[in-house]
Amino acid sequence: MHEHWNDNNFDDFPVAMAYVPWQKFERLCEDLEKGYCAGTIFPELDKPFTGRRCV
Amino acid sequence: MGEKEQLLRDIGIADFVLTELVLYLDTHPFDRNAQEYFNHYNRIKLQMEKEFSQKYYPLNTRYAESSKEWRWGAAPLPWEGECA
Repeated sequence: MHEHWNDNNFDDFPVAMAYVPWQKFERLCEDLEKGYCAGTIFPELDKPFTGRRCV
Repeated sequence: MGEKEQLLRDIGIADFVLTELVLYLDTHPFDRNAQEYFNHYNRIKLQMEKEFSQKYYPLNTRYAESSKEWRWGAAPLPWEGECA
């Protein structure tokens, strides 16, 4: 498993590239049934589209 | 929703939680917290599946072992609508 999976020293990153910040995880959503219906158990990933913009 | 349907739904939710945790752990293999969540829900799901298989019908041939009668054949087939 390559070792650079958690480096976020942005100043070394080349410009004009797209980057996705690493997900930091503390806890699951309280109600797993609600997470099941929302499609994720990670609150930080629960971004329902509201027709004009994401929440 | 009957007890059987509720248990089946809970197994499905536990399975979904595990799938999510696997996806996260694939990219965060050193996250102890996530590993503990995985171990916890994995044990819960296995226990629920065992309980369901004893009470109603085996969900998987892994749980089909029995001294009395062969129960695996008694399980409803997926297209019979009971495994919703």
